[in-house]
Amino acid sequence: MKIELSIKPREKPFIPIEAESITPASFLEKMTEDITVWSGNREKKLTEIFDVKKSGNADSQKDVEIILNGDCSAVKRVGEYMKDGKISIMGNIGMHCGNFMSGGLIEINGDSDSWLGREMTGGEIICKGNTGDYCGSGYRGEKTGIKGGKITIMKDAGDYLGESMAGGEIIVNGSSGNMPGSEMQKGTITIYKDAVLPCPNMRGGICYVLGEAKEILPTFKQTGSIYNSDHKRELNIYEGDYANRSHKGKLFAGKTNKK
Amino acid sequence: MIKKNVICSFCGCLCDDLSITIEDGKITGVDNGCALANAKFLGKERLLKPVIREGDSIKETEYNTAIEKAADILKDAERPLFFGWSGTQGEAQAKGVHLCMLLGGVIDNTSSLCHGPSILAIQEVGHPGCTLGQVKNRADLIIYWGCNPLEGHPRHMSRYTTYADGFFLKNAFRERKLIVVDVRKTMSSDVADEFIQIEPGGDYAVLSALRAIVRGEEKIIPESVSGVSKSQLKRVADMCKEARFGALFFGLGLTMSKNKYKNIRNAVELTDELSRHTKFTISAMRGHWNVYGANEVFTWMTGYPYAIDFARGIPFYNPGETTAAEILYRKECDALMVVSSDPAAHMPKKCVEHMADIPVIQIDPHKNCTSFFTDVQIPVAITGIEASGTAYRMDGVPLRTKKIIDADFLTDTEVISRIYERILEAKADV
Ligand code: SF4
Repeated sequence: MKIELSIKPREKPFIPIEAESITPASFLEKMTEDITVWSGNREKKLTEIFDVKKSGNADSQKDVEIILNGDCSAVKRVGEYMKDGKISIMGNIGMHCGNFMSGGLIEINGDSDSWLGREMTGGEIICKGNTGDYCGSGYRGEKTGIKGGKITIMKDAGDYLGESMAGGEIIVNGSSGNMPGSEMQKGTITIYKDAVLPCPNMRGGICYVLGEAKEILPTFKQTGSIYNSDHKRELNIYEGDYANRSHKGKLFAGKTNKK
Repeated sequence: MIKKNVICSFCGCLCDDLSITIEDGKITGVDNGCALANAKFLGKERLLKPVIREGDSIKETEYNTAIEKAADILKDAERPLFFGWSGTQGEAQAKGVHLCMLLGGVIDNTSSLCHGPSILAIQEVGHPGCTLGQVKNRADLIIYWGCNPLEGHPRHMSRYTTYADGFFLKNAFRERKLIVVDVRKTMSSDVADEFIQIEPGGDYAVLSALRAIVRGEEKIIPESVSGVSKSQLKRVADMCKEARFGALFFGLGLTMSKNKYKNIRNAVELTDELSRHTKFTISAMRGHWNVYGANEVFTWMTGYPYAIDFARGIPFYNPGETTAAEILYRKECDALMVVSSDPAAHMPKKCVEHMADIPVIQIDPHKNCTSFFTDVQIPVAITGIEASGTAYRMDGVPLRTKKIIDADFLTDTEVISRIYERILEAKADV
């Protein structure tokens, strides 16, 4: 089954749309007319906000593909709790895309806003543009961020990438902002370019910063260096964070700039 | 006539020992207060009547007309935003939450621009805090980090810390040690036993280094961390461990500089670590007199201290998404109500631009920068002077401020209640 959603022009285009109902499961289980989204404090029919074209049939979520056309940067929570199938987003997408996702694939051609793949446990997200802050992190005060699955960002990520990460994999082909991998416990983050203050307070997990790692904390202990043949680079190895009781995290960083 | 033991409703210290002289129903003298208190109690400038905007001009009007207009603006909004609340009574804050719930709006208080990050950190790792009475009577080590109490909270040191008598300290002034941490010298750092000057943005690294040193991992710390020498860090760590009761206070220098809430989290974790050696506590230097009250009231009513989105009928909280500055910046709201605050003076230009595009209601005794954007401004009685009301001190202790002179203004609570009633009626008519 293929569902094509095209966002219609709106009178107040900046009022956020909360659309956790845009998942393969909804379209498999419900009639399109019964699916609703929220625009500010009003519940509206999906068809009021999007032009919907549906074709083909599906027996399981796996066979459902949703395509989102137009600028959806004010559309939040698309693909929340997604278990299987595919969502292709042709332009930008709003916050909380792929929250709690456990399977399937979300492909974003434009930029994604903050909290992309928040607390996901499985599946895959590929974002061809930039992503905002808190990609792959947890909710406020939450002890764990993503626990499984894979997020790939083709350009840059914002601040607090993979906060409290507890599994899975995050790859950023560009740079990340401030404090990637803070409070990290498990999993792997790879940043191909630069990062600022990587892995503060980490307890476990592995983080690669292949460009320059700015302001490595004084509580990281350099234990050696290694030539990484995958990335063809000499990388310093750090262990930390020694501010913590548990400091089994590993940070591999290009240039050093220990403060 | 002199009224004694009056509470000062200016800063988070809520000093409750002011003497106010009143002659002919007017305040003519303030004793015991600091310069800020004098300015508050003796201030003359205020808005006398409600005003509404008609085209390019501002017109004086009556309460009823202004309340009617405010209700009209709010009732059809798809995403109204309610902001401010730190300078009003707890009763009005509660009414504000009801109004926001009724309308499915977003309610945020000024914490999101000051100590919001502290709350985020507390939600991650807890708050080993205590009341100011404990600090006054027991603490023999005081740390002020990223704040300048002598100028920001002028009587904090004389009422609660350095210059206060302590029940369990024989000679409090000599027994208490004072450490000040800041990026520059201040009036407060001049009186400190130890002044730690950190390079801007270096607080996080210094806190991490202190944690490692307290844990006995000083070997890995380099000779200098963010401009602070290792020897000073070691000396400070020892001072902390040797104290019988240490109290760390932090201000906006820590919450609003680089790394924001992570700084506070690190400071809380340092406090935790020190509590393995001695008694240590940490508290925020809350600015506005009832900003803590806004957090308390919002929390008991909704479960969350600020940035609460009622669009879906149930409270959703996510600072960075549901905070006022972000909502204005992203142009998400279609109406704004400001209560006792001045967002136009404190928010980024883009937020202020959106204020110019949407209807704005202001409830405030005074004109301020936000007044330039308002469609309706309703003046109210000043709590603690012209009206009584509940406020929470920076350590979470609720105090009842008193009415000391009469005035012909409605209170914030009355104005918001009347807007609420008016909207209920309008909804019933439909
Ligand atoms: S320190 Fe604060 S509460 Fe105390 S008198 Fe001064 S302004 Fe008022």
